[in-house]
Amino acid sequence: MTITRSIAAAALASVAIAAHPAVAAECPAGFPDGQITMLVGYGAGGGTDAIARAIAADMEARQGWTVVVDNRPGAGGGVMSAELMGKEPDGSVIGVGATGTVALNPYETKSTPFTYEDFDYLGTAMNINYGLVSITDKPYKTLAEFIEFAKANGATIATGGKSQEILVRQMADHYGVELIAVPGKGAADSMQAALGGHVDATTQGTQHVQQIKAGAMVQLASLTGERVPYAPDSPTLVEEGLDATIEGQTIFMVPKGTDPAVFACLAQALDESVQSEGYAELMDRLDNKAVNLGPDGTRAVIAKAAAFYQSYLAGE
Amino acid sequence: MPDLATILAGAADAATLSNLFFIILGVAIGQVVGAIPGMTILMALAIAIPITYTMDTLTAIAFLISVNKGGTVGGAIPAILINTPGTPESAATALDGHPMAKKGQPMKAMRYSLYYSVFGDFWSDIVLITVAAPLAIVALKMGPVEVTALMVLAFTVITGLVGNSMVKGLIAAALGCLCASIGLDPGQGTPRFTFGSLNLYDGLPLTAMSIGLLAVAEIFHQIAKTTKATAATAPIPMSVREDDGRLTLKDLLANRYVALRATVIGTLIGAIPGLGSATAGFLSYSITKQSAKDPESFGTGDPRGIAASEAANSAVVGANLIPLLTLGIPGNIAAALLVSAFIIHGIQPGPLLFKEQGQLIYGMFAAMLVANFANLAVGQIGMRFWAFAISAPNSVIYPASLLLCFTGSYVTAGGLFGVMIMLIFGVAGYFMRLFAISPIAFIIGYVLTPELESKLIQSVLITRGDPWKVLDHPIAIALLVLSVASIVYLGPRRRKGAKKAVDQPAA
Repeated sequence: MTITRSIAAAALASVAIAAHPAVAAECPAGFPDGQITMLVGYGAGGGTDAIARAIAADMEARQGWTVVVDNRPGAGGGVMSAELMGKEPDGSVIGVGATGTVALNPYETKSTPFTYEDFDYLGTAMNINYGLVSITDKPYKTLAEFIEFAKANGATIATGGKSQEILVRQMADHYGVELIAVPGKGAADSMQAALGGHVDATTQGTQHVQQIKAGAMVQLASLTGERVPYAPDSPTLVEEGLDATIEGQTIFMVPKGTDPAVFACLAQALDESVQSEGYAELMDRLDNKAVNLGPDGTRAVIAKAAAFYQSYLAGE
Repeated sequence: MPDLATILAGAADAATLSNLFFIILGVAIGQVVGAIPGMTILMALAIAIPITYTMDTLTAIAFLISVNKGGTVGGAIPAILINTPGTPESAATALDGHPMAKKGQPMKAMRYSLYYSVFGDFWSDIVLITVAAPLAIVALKMGPVEVTALMVLAFTVITGLVGNSMVKGLIAAALGCLCASIGLDPGQGTPRFTFGSLNLYDGLPLTAMSIGLLAVAEIFHQIAKTTKATAATAPIPMSVREDDGRLTLKDLLANRYVALRATVIGTLIGAIPGLGSATAGFLSYSITKQSAKDPESFGTGDPRGIAASEAANSAVVGANLIPLLTLGIPGNIAAALLVSAFIIHGIQPGPLLFKEQGQLIYGMFAAMLVANFANLAVGQIGMRFWAFAISAPNSVIYPASLLLCFTGSYVTAGGLFGVMIMLIFGVAGYFMRLFAISPIAFIIGYVLTPELESKLIQSVLITRGDPWKVLDHPIAIALLVLSVASIVYLGPRRRKGAKKAVDQPAA
């Protein structure tokens, strides 16, 4: 997805809305036959849920479809994925999860009944900007200073998920220092441990942005592929010579074997909604931006992450 | 702290007719949903959030907070009237509330519960408004090591709730711990007792389980007891004497220290993210019972029991906003739902909130205070309605409640899985009642264990496995000393009290 094309799509979409509110994505005749269900792999009221509901509402208005959002929380999107896998591939059910749902979970727990290859991907709606952050009271402000500190004392890093733990281990191996991942019950739990000074740093996806803006925290390293707008001076690990990132996209998926015409129609409808102005506003509020990697881009990111986790976890 | 002008402007924003309308509506919705067994306040909030999309920000937040506040008052009603607390936090209220209702004083029990609930809520709001920032900093000092010690203390004082047989109580609590270990372990993420079912990866769904154990089991129990003669009668006798429903200021003031202590416990537990109102209610009830001169009178309809539970679990509601508003950390699931509402309305909770949105926050505080009075007023009116509803015969009340339990479990756990869990625990709870094994002790074991396990793992990692490092944590040491003291001083007394009251049924 090039920028020009997104702008063009957005412009087209807004023109289309102004002229014919119900005409947009090119869809096979008779599709959809009834309502479309969006199965969200997380609970109502969470971040992924807010994104799914915004996209669903926009699709309803733009395409004239009925899109019902239903929550299937559990196992980091695993419950939703297992249910989605059993659905008819007719485009009537769309799953909403995260990259880790399909790229990490199947290799982390062997009994997971699916792999990423059991689904087709319509695209993404957002990229979570993970960062390694610490409170400003600590004696280090950069990654180099943090590693120096860890060399002398070892360091504890509060994490909120397996992918973050793995990243901490990769860093420890790369720099040859003792880094202890302290698993929290989630981002809020890790944030609390970090703000209270009980750990030396924490990996965070969203909550750290406000803390950085308030001057309470500093980002030691960006765990994304590219630098992030809220901390432009914080280098990525890739720049520092360690090829490690945490991929955290909100992904939209359908069961494998969906009719190509229906698939193309849904992918286009998703893209139009992700590029919409209303959705951009939601992203603004979340200190993030709309990112649609498109069907091929999404699959590529997932395949790369899955291959990494599969080999990394097999070597444990 | 913003200047006076900001505070006044915020308060003025709150004082509009439409805000007042939505506050009263929110409180009423919260009370009704809370009062229906099987419906939980989380459901009400999740459903209410999309409704607020079109409202302006202050109205939306005032409405949602009112729903939450109403829920804490409503939750006690079925606990008192039909002994079926739909949520774990009102379970401790049932221990004395229901016996009082059975004595023919349901109105009195509901009044006690309403007044102490609003009392706890009101004072925790005052704490939030005046000292949120310093209290949040104190709460941050509670790291993994300190919280582990706090959980140890909670386990020791909670023995006061295990019923009359220590052994049976410990069996129940141990079973609760065991069930809490189902799902991915908090350290390594290894699946335990999941038998390959993805549904069990996040553990048993607490809401469905507690609906089963507390509400459905009681309904089964009542249905099993029902004969043709009793089916036509109401579940609790209504006293005809006007006196029995009345509550004087003297009655209320008699328990002022209990209520005050409960409020302090609730506020402190609420200020620490992740602990929740069930822990606060149980802890406060337990401490009150064990420190009383006559612990044997608890469980027989003692107003101190209602005060201890209700003031504490309601105090959590205001205090839970402390970490949210000052640090951006949601204290519990209800607060997490409020976060998404904030974000939808363009506000990012975090350390900058007071600075950037001072007027809105003070508007919200004003709305919270108004909501407390609305809670009181709506509660007074609602009480008569519930008393009337409960005058329906058993054969109507219990099947209707059961239907709502099915709905609630289905919605909160996302499908039939929740209903299955509810039924399994409904049957288990029925047998636990028959054998006088306290389901409450089971739930406490279940609620406390994950927090203890997760914090213990974190503590071991942070201290690099060196137990002497605990000496660097004075708060943890103080809490551990208190735990030992509570076993030494409160243990034997509890047993003496229990011997006198052997004929009481277990909770």
